[in-house]
Amino acid sequence: MPAISIIDVVMRFDRFTAVDHVSLDVEEGEFVTLLGPSGCGKTTLLKLVSGFLQPTEGRIEIEGRNVTGVPPEARNTAMCFQSYALFPHLTVAENIAFGLRQKRLPAAERRDRLADVTGQVDLGDHLPKLPNQLSGGQQQRVALGRALAVRPYVILFDEPLSNLDAKLREQVRYEIRKITRDFGLTAIYVTHDQSEALAMSDRIFVMNGGRLEQSGAPEEIYRHPRTRFVADFIGSANVLDAEVVGEIGPNLWQVTTALGPLAVSSETGPAARRIPVAWRPETARDGAAAHNTVEAVVRHRSFQGHFTDLIVDAGTTTQRLQLPRSAAREGAQITFSIAPEDIAFLEPDA
Amino acid sequence: MRLGRTATILLLLTPGIGLIVFFIGAVIYIAIAQSFGYYNLLGESGYSLEFWETLTGRKAYARSVRYSLYVGFWSAILSVALAYPLALWLRKPFTGSLTVSAILKAPLLVHGIVAAFLFLNVISFHGILNQFMVWTGIFDEPRRLQNDDNAIGLLFLQVWKNMPFALLLLTGAVQAISDDVLHAAQDLGAGAWARFRKVIAPLSVSAMQAALIIIFIGALADFTFQTTIGPTNRQSLAQYMTFFKERGRWNDAAVVGVTLMALSLVGAIVLAAAARLIFRGRLR
Ligand SMILES: Nc1ncnc2c1ncn2[C@@H]1O[C@H](COP(=O)(O)OP(=O)(O)OP(=O)(O)O)[C@@H](O)[C@H]1O
Ligand SMILES: [Mg+2]
Repeated sequence: MPAISIIDVVMRFDRFTAVDHVSLDVEEGEFVTLLGPSGCGKTTLLKLVSGFLQPTEGRIEIEGRNVTGVPPEARNTAMCFQSYALFPHLTVAENIAFGLRQKRLPAAERRDRLADVTGQVDLGDHLPKLPNQLSGGQQQRVALGRALAVRPYVILFDEPLSNLDAKLREQVRYEIRKITRDFGLTAIYVTHDQSEALAMSDRIFVMNGGRLEQSGAPEEIYRHPRTRFVADFIGSANVLDAEVVGEIGPNLWQVTTALGPLAVSSETGPAARRIPVAWRPETARDGAAAHNTVEAVVRHRSFQGHFTDLIVDAGTTTQRLQLPRSAAREGAQITFSIAPEDIAFLEPDA
Repeated sequence: MRLGRTATILLLLTPGIGLIVFFIGAVIYIAIAQSFGYYNLLGESGYSLEFWETLTGRKAYARSVRYSLYVGFWSAILSVALAYPLALWLRKPFTGSLTVSAILKAPLLVHGIVAAFLFLNVISFHGILNQFMVWTGIFDEPRRLQNDDNAIGLLFLQVWKNMPFALLLLTGAVQAISDDVLHAAQDLGAGAWARFRKVIAPLSVSAMQAALIIIFIGALADFTFQTTIGPTNRQSLAQYMTFFKERGRWNDAAVVGVTLMALSLVGAIVLAAAARLIFRGRLR
């Protein structure tokens, strides 16, 4: 039995459809991410699960029980709000303990959990402060701690790390995963940071315009994006419109694109004659190869540490590639190649 | 230099604030002085505790203090208690909410004395309330409802008149609380009452205090409602004060006046502190 079942849910605000026929299951103890651009309906979906919104159509089940009409206070969920939503009149300690008091936990247990959580979100020095005496990142950690402290059956995170610096983000990310694992919490985590989604999730649900575009394990989503949107949104792949010429070998297809003729490796083959194909910037290889050798001119170069990001003009289009060590300057001529197995057919556009 | 600046500022403020301070100060001074025997318009002026001693020794004085406190406290508390749910209901706009809130605020435009007369008409022996109660069979025969001993009618009118004012203050305070904050409380298991107790009331406690204090002070010194619909066997402090004035006993009137001011101050502090302590859990 899934911990959460979202069954064909539609959410309309007047005539605007914020969530459009979404169905998904989350298993008990699973950590899933909702990933998508701003305004795609992520927060709305969380509010449907926590009970602040009632779906226009469809239903939601938690622990196999239909929760339609069950008010938020009676659902065993806790949400970490995107806007923090801290209680301005309560201290950090009181904010974190709010849910514990509501649950009528004994004082000793409350103290223990408060101590645990403040360590996990690194707020030890700030317990007696009021929210308006904290920095943005500290407030965000209070919001996170307040939700984590209650250890609900389902925990919902709405971009809980957006305001933290890179180092702290990584640390808190680790703590979140540890807590949810240690206590077997089922978690839905909303983010529009794809690296966060890839790093943390058991499964990723990619949303776009209120719809579910694709779901799967991080590797699967990354390696086999199904649509143009997913390919572009995750890892910013180069997407090209291709026209299939024919099969030129076992599982090897010849296509023409704005980049020139390309060989694409695919077991299933293209679903249509005109079809988008995608390849990832970091799969580009320096120099020529047996297949798909491309001549290009560097338009823009930015050094990123362990790789160099290049925007190049090639064929009649502009592509992005990342090479581990490239001395190419802007304006220089370079040769690179893409292995046929690094290029994938996407679903034909609707 | 700094002294000069302070002096300049004080000088510039004098025409405005100075005038206010002067008039308030003068009134308070005269009242207090008179209660101690000065400015005696009839007899000899001079310091004397006689007026305080005789008056505070009287049963009528104590009864009047108790009665005015009763009216003041209940008017303030009931008005605020009634205004809260309405303020919460009107927190988010809905179709017709503007009309509803306008109607609720209408009593602000009706003078107390007019409302009192209307009320008298409604509850009088042959008024529509009695007729209705007899018609429905709840009453066997018309009852005397006006000037009831427990001042229920008077409290009703006080609340009717003052609730809109509390509503005005509380609506603003309640609207300033964000949806997400209330959602967070709800999400953490707080039902409607816990949300009110732990989030809404503490966050609107300043408006609550203001409403309580202002209504309390007004109702404490009530004269209009008391003389029209109040119990005939009780005297409010304001009534008691006029009683002395009409007999030319200015020093006795001053004692009651000073009592009224002192009770206003103490009552206001008590109400404000209680509200904060109950809903905020701390005085600061
Ligand atoms: N109460 C509401 N009334 C009308 N429209 C709403 C309401 N709440 C959300 N929407 C609309 O629904 C859409 C989805 O909103 P939502 O807050 O779920 O986006 P999101 O994916 O969380 O975006 P972000 O990443 O910016 O937080 C938006 O276009 C928004 O304008
Ligand atoms: Mg959002």
